[in-house]
Amino acid sequence: MGVIDWLALAVIVPLIGALAVTALPSRVRGLGLFAACATAVIALRVTLEVWQAALLRSDLGGWGAPLGLALQADGLSAALLAMTALVGLAISISATGYFRNDDQSRHFWPLWLLLWAALNGLLLAADLFNLYVTLELVGLTAAALGALTGTRAAVAANLRYLLVGLLGSISYLLGVALLYTAYGTLDMTLLAEAMQPGPVSGSALVLMVGGLALKAAIFPLHFWLPPAHANAPAPVSAVLSALVVKAAFYLILRLWLDVFAPVVTPVASDLLGILGALAVLWGSWRALRAERLKLLAAYSTVAQIGYLCLFFPLLQATPEGTPRDDLMAALVLMALTHGFAKAGLFLAAGLVQQSAGHDRIADLGGTAQHLPATTFTIALAGTALIGLPPSGSFIGKWFLLSSAVATGQWWWIPVIMAGTLLAAAYVFRVLGRAFNLEPTPRVFVTQARTEVPALLLALTSVAVLGLVASPLWRLLGLEGGP
Amino acid sequence: MTRAASLLIALLTALFAGVLLWVFHEALALAPGARLAESAMANLAATGVSNPVTAVLLNYRAYDTLLELAVLLAALLGIWSLSTATPGFQPAGAVLWGMVGWVVPLLILTGGYLLWVGGHAPGGAFQAGALLGAAGVVLRLSGDATAGLPSVAAQRWLAVCGVAAFVGVGLATMAAGLGFLTYPSAWAKWLILLIETAATMAIGATLAAAYVGGRPGSALGEKRRP
Repeated sequence: MGVIDWLALAVIVPLIGALAVTALPSRVRGLGLFAACATAVIALRVTLEVWQAALLRSDLGGWGAPLGLALQADGLSAALLAMTALVGLAISISATGYFRNDDQSRHFWPLWLLLWAALNGLLLAADLFNLYVTLELVGLTAAALGALTGTRAAVAANLRYLLVGLLGSISYLLGVALLYTAYGTLDMTLLAEAMQPGPVSGSALVLMVGGLALKAAIFPLHFWLPPAHANAPAPVSAVLSALVVKAAFYLILRLWLDVFAPVVTPVASDLLGILGALAVLWGSWRALRAERLKLLAAYSTVAQIGYLCLFFPLLQATPEGTPRDDLMAALVLMALTHGFAKAGLFLAAGLVQQSAGHDRIADLGGTAQHLPATTFTIALAGTALIGLPPSGSFIGKWFLLSSAVATGQWWWIPVIMAGTLLAAAYVFRVLGRAFNLEPTPRVFVTQARTEVPALLLALTSVAVLGLVASPLWRLLGLEGGP
Repeated sequence: MTRAASLLIALLTALFAGVLLWVFHEALALAPGARLAESAMANLAATGVSNPVTAVLLNYRAYDTLLELAVLLAALLGIWSLSTATPGFQPAGAVLWGMVGWVVPLLILTGGYLLWVGGHAPGGAFQAGALLGAAGVVLRLSGDATAGLPSVAAQRWLAVCGVAAFVGVGLATMAAGLGFLTYPSAWAKWLILLIETAATMAIGATLAAAYVGGRPGSALGEKRRP
């Protein structure tokens, strides 16, 4: 690595952006958008370097582990970093149109750029305590952003989210303290080498994954998510559902597969799988019953996190080799697809809400006629949520099903089928309402700044991730492919 | 909540605490001695400070502290996004004002001392900043609606100056080819002092502004002193 440390810049540049928009509130939009573009470019550049070099590491302060801190990027972090960059950029552009009120955008931009810095910091961190600090920053900024509308419901939901998040962080920190006491290091690579099964590492695993499961809204710890995500302003809901929940899940995955690899047992993986199955069924059912579009999207997030949990028992049962590599890449592909699709769906739902004055599904008649591009976005995002071809989640579910057959864990198959059917039902319930008999409009796009980013996100989840998925295998450094 | 339920919760909490204690005991048994403390002491000469705690916070794990300052900033931005501040307190009587006139300068002086002493003894930016914040709390309690803070624009600059100094030093060391936040030994002391001074101001201003409890609105425009 040359003079320029791109890993550090991926965290520092959005942070500088946050400082600039805090200090100069009169130029908040221009500065914020500029910082968002710069952050996205740097994150994509890091992804490109990982594509070429497989692993990047930078010792901050020059001390090296275990005394100092380091930033590290491998295929998994790079894939999520790129997703955060693209989704974040689309959300930023859309936010310039959504927050027309100066006061709101003055509060949105500093918190959002801080959150972006924290997300990049979380994805690149190589040290367990440093991860705790990034978790705190993510939780605090996410809760403050969620309460931006200032309504009583939003403040109550996000105060609960803040407290739940604190409980999760403290539980995680307790696990970190146990690990440091036992192994004398906080660096994830060194810990993974030293890790031995036993009561200490077992308890640390339970405390850390339990705390993070609260933040990732894994069933039955999802209770805080629907009100918090449904009451936030639309660009914030998109950030929370697509990125923040995914960051906590990424950390669970990282701990489960890397740090605690010798400690996890088939029973523990099965437990995560069962919780995932319940989340798929319960989340999809509640999404079908939801009366408001944003609440539907929030419950659908609970279900989609459930699908990701189904991968744990299958990964546990699959030995090293191409089938396991395929399964791992399919997991990341599902997470990326959901990120793009859900961000697109929430942005579209926000437009519907702004244009119709409400987001009650029963009264959405004729929306397609008023907002054709937005309705198309909802349909595309729905395609990805159901898992229809050619979306990325179609490939993900395909590998999930074939791996369930290959490992003989057939009981996950009916769950996936039922979840898919329920998803089809809740998506078509919205679309059925939206296409009423009204005069056809003459323009496809009515509000370019807010509609186009949402449309591009949904399109990415369906077309780009579905049709061009094989580079992901290479980025992750895995064999096989779709 | 019924009696039975609270008894059950107490029992479960006690059980959890018992298990944790046992696990902690097991972890101590696995312990590799002093853990990182020995290597932290061994490298102390190159860190620019002789207080090992400051060395950990501002040198070995400086990036952690940088993000912690960002957490403080996030908390303040969150408070500002929720509501405007209410005036809150009546101006204090003459006797209380007389005492405040003594206490506030003393707090500021002690804060400065703690900032300087952090290099070789317990102290540092967080302690010094907490004292400055306390001075703001005392002022607000005795009726100064702005808690002694300057104008809104200046408050924004004060709130970001800690993180900004940190990031600035980090970028400067990166531009010098040393790597992000890698101080050259000869400069380490002064770079740390620069960061700590900015951090003290930021922490003090942030804590006082957080105590004001909302974004400074027009209602707080005028300072009132008897």
